[in-house]
Order: sequence, then C-alpha cells, then structure tokens
Amino acid sequence: MHDDPDAVTLLEAMAATLADRVVPALHDGVQHEARIVANLCRILARELAESGADLDMFAALIGHDGQRGDLTAELDQLIASGHAPPETLAVLLADVTRRAEITKPGYTFTDGT
Amino acid sequence: MEPDAAAAGLSELAGCPVTITGAASVGAQRSTLFVDLERPTGVESAVAQISTGAVETRPVTAEAALLELVGRHGVPVPTVYAATDELPGIGLPAMIVSRARGRTIPRHILRALPDRDAGDNLARQCGAALAALHAIPATEAPPAFEEVSPTRFVELQTERLELLARPRPAIRYGLRWLGDNEPAPVDSTIVHGDLRNGNIVVDDGGLIAVLDWEVAQRSDPMQDLAWLCLRTWRFGADDRPVGGFGAFDALVDGYETAGGTFRQPAFDWWTAARCAWWAIGLAAQALAFTTGRTDAIMLAASGRRVPELEFDLLDHIRRIDH
Repeated sequence: MHDDPDAVTLLEAMAATLADRVVPALHDGVQHEARIVANLCRILARELAESGADLDMFAALIGHDGQRGDLTAELDQLIASGHAPPETLAVLLADVTRRAEITKPGYTFTDGT
Repeated sequence: MEPDAAAAGLSELAGCPVTITGAASVGAQRSTLFVDLERPTGVESAVAQISTGAVETRPVTAEAALLELVGRHGVPVPTVYAATDELPGIGLPAMIVSRARGRTIPRHILRALPDRDAGDNLARQCGAALAALHAIPATEAPPAFEEVSPTRFVELQTERLELLARPRPAIRYGLRWLGDNEPAPVDSTIVHGDLRNGNIVVDDGGLIAVLDWEVAQRSDPMQDLAWLCLRTWRFGADDRPVGGFGAFDALVDGYETAGGTFRQPAFDWWTAARCAWWAIGLAAQALAFTTGRTDAIMLAASGRRVPELEFDLLDHIRRIDH
C-alpha cells in the first residue's frame, strides 16, 4: 500500500506538467524528447489502470490455462508450425487492439481507409 | 567524434576547407551535418553524412554511385560531391552532398501545404519520381545492392523475429500469411526502400529531393509505393493515404503517367510486408535499449509503438482475406 496520490494519478499529473509547463520552456533539441516522456507517462497510466479483462483469450484459443508468457510462446509456436487454431486471427486482432488502445487511444477505430 | 577532427577529415575529402555549421540529425546509423565548403569560387552550403560506426549495410561509396545513377535518370536527388568508406583521421564512412533547401520534417511539410490539391500534386510528384527510379534497369545498380524477392523478404524477417526478446504471435501470423500469399513474380527494379514522408525535401513547388538511400535494394517496385502509403507515415491524417498529404489515386496517376505499372495485389502484399518489417524494426529498437546498446528514450518508446504496426498488419490481412 502506498500513499496518495496513487500511481495512475501521479503519472497523469507528471504527463500534464511535462506537456503544459516544461515542454514550452525547452529548446527544439530536447522538446521532442520531453514530449516522448510525457506520452510514455500517459501510456503507463493507462497500462496500470487496465482492468486485466481479455487476458484469457489466448488460453481459450489454445484450450488450456497457463501463464500469459507461456501461452504467448505456445501460440507463437503453433502459428510458426502451421497449426494455428481457426480463430487465431480474430483473437490476435482483439489482443493487438487492446494493446494499441493503451499506447494510442482511438488508433484502432478505422473507417477502412 | 571530435568536431575538429571531423572538419579536418571532411576538408581532406572535399579538397577544400570545410566548416561544420550545425547538426541536421543524429541518427542511430549516421550523423548528418550542415557544412560550408570554402571553394575558390565561393562558399557553398552542403550536407555531410558520417557513419556512427554501427553496422553499415553496404559501402557508402556504393550508395554514392547509386545516387549518381538515379540522378542521371531523372530522380530528384542531392548531387554527390565526395564519398569515402574511410574518412581521413576518423576512419568511418562519409559522404558530402549538395544541400536541397526545403522542408524535411513531416509535420512541417503537412502544415505548409496550402490545400488538398497541393498535397495531391506532391503525391503525383512522388509517383513520377518512383516511376523514373523503377524504369532504370536493375542490372545497372552497383552489385552491393542485393536482390530481395518476396520469398527472401519473408526469410529475412523471420530471422529478425527470432532475435527479438519475446515471442510476437501477431507478427508471426503476418509472416506466415505473407509466405502463403506471395504475389506473382515480377522483374525486380531498383527500389529505394525508405521513401516516405520524412525522407523527402519539399518546397512551395513540391518535391525537390528524395533522401536516405541507405536501404535501397533490387526488389518488386510495389514495395516503394506500399511503404509510402503506410499508415504510420500519415501522422494522423488518415484521409490522405499518401504520406498524410495526398490521395492514393494521385500517387497512382503520377506513377502511371510517368510510365510505371501499378499492381494492386503486389501493393497489398507489400503493405502487409512492410507493416511486419517496421513492427520488427520498432521492437528491435526497444531491444537495443533494454540490452544497453543505447540510452535514447526515443528508442525505448519505440517498444510501445509496436502494437500500432501489429494492428495495421492484422487489420490489413483481415480486410484482404474477407
């Protein structure tokens, strides 16, 4: 148990401070890096806030439980050996959609262009 | 690298006094410097590229020979003034080229376009430049530029995938799909390999130069068009598929008007292929950080961009397969 504010709140505050107050005061050379750091803070806040739902998709696809890392490696091997289960593309798409929405919210809402 | 030593080496290479006036960019592979050449006829601004000593895929003198070749065939490129695989006093590969004056930063290029017509015009010019490049017989390329067929491409990416820190089933799925869906064979042409918003110089009249020929190869010409249209190089402007500035039809029109032949199935294949390539590339940048080969935060952040490319790859495959 840690003190308040919690990690998500702090990371969001760090991102806002960097983007709104620090970045404008920096010269061109380091402005870009500071923006990257602010964005990383936002990504980490979203990672920490994630509910953990959907993480069982690989287990359901493969047909048994296991650690996330082990299931990922097993699925990778199944695909490499040409034995990917039929629903593999749909499950992988759901998984990358979840991860992409953490790193770049809105990225997966495409209109077909 | 000591600036004085670099200036001395560049002076010897250029055959006249060279002053370093600024740094254009410091990449993972090379430093790009603005320089002044003090020629007997007057001072000329130029650009010097010095390898950072990391792996060069091919001799820089071969790249210089390629630039001269494509320039003769009407592709807008900087003029090569001098190139060496061993800069005097420094020992690293270096090249001095003319300075194309215009915008190179993608968001500056997009912001400066007055309207959609100007963006479409730029897309047409990119198409014409690629058609001129692809019309050059591949046999004229220096031998250092290797042949990369679709089969070879998939082999190379599968090898790169194995070197990453953790399994990536999304990319694996993409590579399997690529192997199962290779496009009809075609004669290879010289392919730039990295023509995108970020490697072009643009002024108010449009395209003035194509830069960064480091990954040029002999391959399917559709690879160049696909890479130029990848979502990652649109900088959020998804309604402008060509580099965030132009309509797809404008690119194809510019390409075919200048003699190129557009092939949709191959374009689609190379779109998936280059999504996979860049997903692996970003993961490899993150690996360089986690293994201590770089402390650049930008390369660390690349690890969190991989999901975007994985999504683009699988979403593209899903659309084609349905």
